[in-house]
Amino acid sequence: MTDMDTKPIGLLIAAMGGEGGGVLRQWLVDAAMAHGLAVQSTSIPGVAQRTGATTYYLEMQSDKGTAVSGSNTKPRPVMSLYPLAGNVDIMVASELIEAGRAMQNGFVTPNCTTLIASTHRVFAVGERTAMADGRFDGTRVVKAADSLAQRAVLFDMEAMAHENGSVINSVLLGAIAGSNRLPIPTEGFEDAIRETGRSVEANLAAFRAGFAAVERGDLKPLTPDSELKRPWRGDPPMVEQLQHRVRDEFPGPARTVLREGVNRLFEYQNLAYAERYLQRLTRIERAELAAGGHGELVRDTGQYLALWMSYEDVMRVAQAKLDRKRQARIRAEVGAKPGEPVRIREYLKPGLDEATALMPGWIARPVLAAADKAGWRDRLNFGMTITSTALWGYSLLRVLSVLRFARPMGHRYQTEQVLIDDWIGNIAKAAALDLNLAAEIAACQRLLKGYGQTYQHGWQSFSQIMDALARPALRGDMPAADAAAAIARAREAALADPEGTALQKAIEPIKAKDLAAE
Amino acid sequence: MERSFSKEVKQLRLGDGDTFHGEGILAVTKALLQSGVSYVGGYQGAPISHLMDVLVDAEDLLSELGVHLETSTSEAAAAAMLGASINYPIRGAVTWKSTVGTNVASDALSNLASAGVTGGAMMILGEDYGEGSSILQERTHAFATKSQMWLLDPRPDLETIVTMVEKGFELSECSNTPVMLELRIRACHVHGAFPTSDNKVGEYNRNRTIKEPSHDFGRITLPPSTYAQEKHKIEVRMPEAIKFIRENQLNDHFDGDINDVGIICQGGLYNATLRALVQAGLAEASGDSRIPILALNVTYPLVPDEISNFCAGKSAILMVEEGQPDYLEEAINVILRKADLQTKVIGKGPLPMAGEYTAEVVLRGLSEFLRQTAPKGVDLAVATAPIQELDQHKAKAMELLGDVLPARPPTFCTGCPERPLFSAIRILEKDLGPTHVSCDIGCHTFSTLPPFNLGNTVLGYGLGLSSAAGVAPNFDKRVISIMGDGGFWHNGVTNGVGSALFNKADGVLMVIKNGYTSATGWQYLPSTLRAREGRATGSSIEGVIKSMGANWLRNVPNYKVGSVMKTLRQALTGQGKGLRVIVADSECQLAKQRRVGPEVAARLKNGQRDVRTRFGIDEDTCTGDRACIRLSGCPSLTIKANPDPLRSDPVTTVLDTCVGCGLCGEVAHAAVLCPSFYKVDIVRNPNLWDRFKDGMHRRLLGDATRVRI
Repeated sequence: MTDMDTKPIGLLIAAMGGEGGGVLRQWLVDAAMAHGLAVQSTSIPGVAQRTGATTYYLEMQSDKGTAVSGSNTKPRPVMSLYPLAGNVDIMVASELIEAGRAMQNGFVTPNCTTLIASTHRVFAVGERTAMADGRFDGTRVVKAADSLAQRAVLFDMEAMAHENGSVINSVLLGAIAGSNRLPIPTEGFEDAIRETGRSVEANLAAFRAGFAAVERGDLKPLTPDSELKRPWRGDPPMVEQLQHRVRDEFPGPARTVLREGVNRLFEYQNLAYAERYLQRLTRIERAELAAGGHGELVRDTGQYLALWMSYEDVMRVAQAKLDRKRQARIRAEVGAKPGEPVRIREYLKPGLDEATALMPGWIARPVLAAADKAGWRDRLNFGMTITSTALWGYSLLRVLSVLRFARPMGHRYQTEQVLIDDWIGNIAKAAALDLNLAAEIAACQRLLKGYGQTYQHGWQSFSQIMDALARPALRGDMPAADAAAAIARAREAALADPEGTALQKAIEPIKAKDLAAE
Repeated sequence: MERSFSKEVKQLRLGDGDTFHGEGILAVTKALLQSGVSYVGGYQGAPISHLMDVLVDAEDLLSELGVHLETSTSEAAAAAMLGASINYPIRGAVTWKSTVGTNVASDALSNLASAGVTGGAMMILGEDYGEGSSILQERTHAFATKSQMWLLDPRPDLETIVTMVEKGFELSECSNTPVMLELRIRACHVHGAFPTSDNKVGEYNRNRTIKEPSHDFGRITLPPSTYAQEKHKIEVRMPEAIKFIRENQLNDHFDGDINDVGIICQGGLYNATLRALVQAGLAEASGDSRIPILALNVTYPLVPDEISNFCAGKSAILMVEEGQPDYLEEAINVILRKADLQTKVIGKGPLPMAGEYTAEVVLRGLSEFLRQTAPKGVDLAVATAPIQELDQHKAKAMELLGDVLPARPPTFCTGCPERPLFSAIRILEKDLGPTHVSCDIGCHTFSTLPPFNLGNTVLGYGLGLSSAAGVAPNFDKRVISIMGDGGFWHNGVTNGVGSALFNKADGVLMVIKNGYTSATGWQYLPSTLRAREGRATGSSIEGVIKSMGANWLRNVPNYKVGSVMKTLRQALTGQGKGLRVIVADSECQLAKQRRVGPEVAARLKNGQRDVRTRFGIDEDTCTGDRACIRLSGCPSLTIKANPDPLRSDPVTTVLDTCVGCGLCGEVAHAAVLCPSFYKVDIVRNPNLWDRFKDGMHRRLLGDATRVRI
C-alpha cells in the first residue's frame, strides 16, 4: 500500500452465487469511502447467482486532493473495470477451487498478490456426479498458492463462519482486514458491518474470528480424508477368540483392517459368519506368503471382502436405520436444538430383488427368471415412507432387522457366497502368477455398489472384467502383467459413466483379439 | 419483484450539489429523471434489470414528477412506447437487454427511426457481451446503422454516463432521431459517484396532459412519407447530429507527447485501454497518457473531420473496437481515404476479431501494435515485457495446478421447482427412449447443462414451442417443448400456442409456471398470483390456453416426480394427434424463500410453532454411485469424505442449505435408487401435543433400543 498515492490497489473477489459476495463488496466500498479512499467496484452477476462462479473487482486509491467533480483539483483516477494480472494486490477466493481458478487466470503473482482463500470445498457438478471419486486434488491448489502468491492466507473460513453463526463473507472480510493490505483501520470494517444493519452481531463475531486467525497465523489449509474417518469399532466380547486369530495368524499390515472386518461381520450376521471371513482370508494369506508378499494383499482383500460379505439388503438397511447413534447424528446434522422434537421419515422402495432375497433359491430363481422375461424385474416396487421415530415405523424396522437371522436360508445369501468364493479363489490363483494381478482382481469389488438396477449394473461390469480379463489371465491365455494393467484400466472405465460405454470401449478390443487368437 | 430498493429510491431524489453513490445503471435512472422524462418502459434482463426494479419501488417520486412507468411484457411493447415522442414534445426512455431485446424490438424501432421524433427518445441497452453474459454474442451497432439511430457508448465513469444521457436527449431532439445508449455488463454494475442535479418535470406528463392530438402524415410510415423520411435522415438528421456532437464535444480527446501514433477506442473501452497503457509504462493511473487517445462516446455517427484531424500526422492508429464485424475500423478507413490521409488503421489483427476486450486482451493487442509500429519515444522492451511475463506466469500456474480445474456452470437453485421436471424427463427416458426437447429462454435453459444435459435447441424467448414446429412432423417420437411463464407472456402465447393450435401441431408443451420472470430477478408477470400491491393480476395461463382451443391441458405439481412422469407419459404416448399442454405449477423457490423467510423468523420470535423440513442421507447405507445427484443436480446434494474406515470413495450428503423441497426423496422413489434418503421435520417452539407425542415415542422407543435382540 506504499504507492497507493499513484497507483490504485486492486482487489479481486472470486465467489459463487449465494455466498454474500455482493455484501462483501459493499462492506469494502463503504469502509474505503468512510476512510477517504477513492473506490470503484464492479461485478458480473449475470446468471451466476444460481451457484455459478463469479467475480467482483474493486480498485481503491488514496483520495488526497481529488473530488467527485471539480476542475481545480487533481483529476479522479481512471480505474479499471477489469483485473489485470500483475496488478491484483489482494485476491480473495471464497472456495479452494476458485482460488485455483484465480491462479490459472494469472491473477496471483509473487510481485504483489496476497491470496486470501477459504480451503473448504464446494464440489463442482463434475466432481459430484463422478461414480467413484472425482474430487480435484486440493493439495495441488495449496502448493500452487504457496509458490505463486506473495503471501497466502489459507484456512477453512466456511467452518469458521458456521461456528460463529454467520456466512463466509464476514470471515473473508476479517481475513482481508487481518492481512493488513488496505489502509483502513479495523474499526472501519466493523462500522461497515454495522451500517448494513443485518445479523450484525454474528457478522462481527465471524469478522473478528477471521481477523484473529490471520493475526495468529496458525492456519491449517487442508484436512485429509483420513482425519475424517469414524474410529474403528470396539471389539464385542464374543469375538475375542477371532481377534486372537487375527493377531496370531495374519501379517502385521493387515491386522487393523481384519479386526474391523471381523467386528463388522459379527454385527452383520453372527460369529460363524465372522469366522468364515477369516477362513476365506487364510487362503489369501497363504497364497500371498507363497508368492513372497508382505500382507498388503491380505489387507486389501480383507477390506473388500468385509464390504462384500456385508452386502446391502433390507435387513442391513433396517439395522443401520436403527443404529443407536443415528438419531444424535441426525439431530446434529440438521441443527435441531435440545427440546425440539424431530421426526424422521425413511424413503424406502423395496422391489422384487429385496423380496426374493429371503426366499429359498428354488422359489426365487423361477420368480426372478419370469420377471426378467416379462421385463418386470425393475418395475415391481413398493414405495413407502416409514416414520422411524414413531412406534409402528420403528417396530417395522425392528422386525426387518431381526429377519437377518433368516438371511442364510435365503436365495441372495447363497448366491453371494458362491460368487464370493469364486472371487476369492481367483485372487488366490492370481497371487501365484502375479501379486499385482491378484490385487487388481480384489479391487474389482469396488464396482459392486448400490441397490437394485445400480447393483445389477455394477455386477455386470464386474463379471465382464472377470470374464474378459481375469479368467483368460488365470488360464494362461494372457500375460499376467498385461491383464493386471488392463483390469485397472477397465475398472476405471467402468466407473467413468453410468451407461457402461467406456467399459465397452476398454474391453471390446481385447475380446476381439482373443477371438482372433482362438 | 422481491428485492427492495428503498435505499436507492432515496438517491433518486438528490438535487443540485448532492453526490450520488451507486451502480452505473442506477446512475442512468437518476439521469433520466434529471432529463425530464415523462415516460419510462422496458423489459427486464441482465444487466439493466435494476433500472426498472428501482423505478417500480419509486412510485411516489414518479407520481410527483408525473412520470409514467410501464413494465412492458416484451421489448417490442417497450419500443413501441417511444411512439409517444414522434408527435409530441415529450421525452421518454425504454430499456432492455441487447441484442436479443433489440431483435424483438426492431419492428417498432425501424418505424420509429423512419418517422423521426419530436421529443427526445432514448433506449438504454445492456450490451450483454463477454464474461457474465447469458446470451448469444452480437453487437447492437448494426441496429444503429441500419435504422439510423445514434449510438452512445460512454466511458464507464458515472459522471460521463450521466452527461451522455442528458446530452443524448438534446441530440435526439435536435436531430429528430431516437438515440441508443449502450452499457456493457461491468459498466452497468460499476459502483461510483457523480454530482447530481435537480430532477426535471417534462413539459407534458401524467400530471399535465396533452390536450390536442397531432396528425402529421409526414410522421406516418406509409409511402410517400417513407421516401421523404429516408431522405430526411440523410439530408437533415445526420448533418444536425454530427454538428451537435462536434459542437458539444461529446467525444473525448486526450493529448499525449508521442504523436507518431494514436489510439481510437469506443468510450466504453477507455478504462481498459488506459489500464493497458499504464501497465506498458505509457500512462499514469491519473489518466495522463503519452499516446494520444480519442475516446468515442458516440460511436454512430462518427464525425469525419474529428477523426481525420486526430489521425493527421500520425503514421498509425490503434483501433480498439470490441466485437465483430469491425464497423468502426471500416468506417474510419473510409473517412481517412476520403480525406486522403495515409495513416494506417490497425485494429483487428493485433486485437482479436471476436470476444470481450478485457484489460489483458487490450494489453496484448497494444503490445503487438507497438511491436509493429515501433513509435519513436517508446521503449519496446519495457512496453512489451508485461505481457511476456504474464504468459510465463500463467504457464507456471498451469504446471503447478497440473490439471484443468473443474468447471462451475450455473444450475437450478436449491429447491428449484424446475429441476423435478427434468428429473422426470430423464427417468422417463429410460423407458420411452430419448426424444427431441425444444428449449426456451429462462432459468429452465440450465437443463442443457450438467447434470441433465437435456435439450436440443434454444431459439429465443417464448419460442420453445415455435421452434419445434419444423422438428415435430419430421421426428419419430412426439417432441417436448419447454416454455416458462415469462416466455409464455413475452411471445409464446401467440407465436407458440396460437401457431401450434392453428396448424394442428402434434406435440407436448410444458409451461413452467413459477409466478415470476425469475431469471431476470423475480419481476412480476401477468399471471403472478400476488403482485406488488398484494392483489391478483387476473390473467391466467390456463384460461388463455383453454380459450385458444387447446383440449388437452393438465396441471401438475412439480415436486411430485411420480405424477409429473405419469402425466408426461400420457402426453407422450397418448392416442390421437394434437397439442398436449402440461402446466407445471410451483412457485419459484428463491422468491418463496425471500417471501417466507421473514414470516418464519417473525413466527419463531413470537414463540409460535414452526416445522422446518430437511433431507438427509445415511452415510452407512449410501454406497456412492451418485445416481441421485445425476438425476437431480441440487446444489445442496453433494459429497463428503467417506467416514467408513473401510471405504475410500466419498459418500453423498445433504448440506444445511437444503430447503426440504423433497425432490431427492421423490427421485429416489421414482427411479428406485436407494434407501438412504430420509426426511427430517424439526418442530421449533413445539406445543404441548408435540412434546407429549415426542415424550411418548422416546419413552417407548428408548426402552426398545435397550433390548438387544
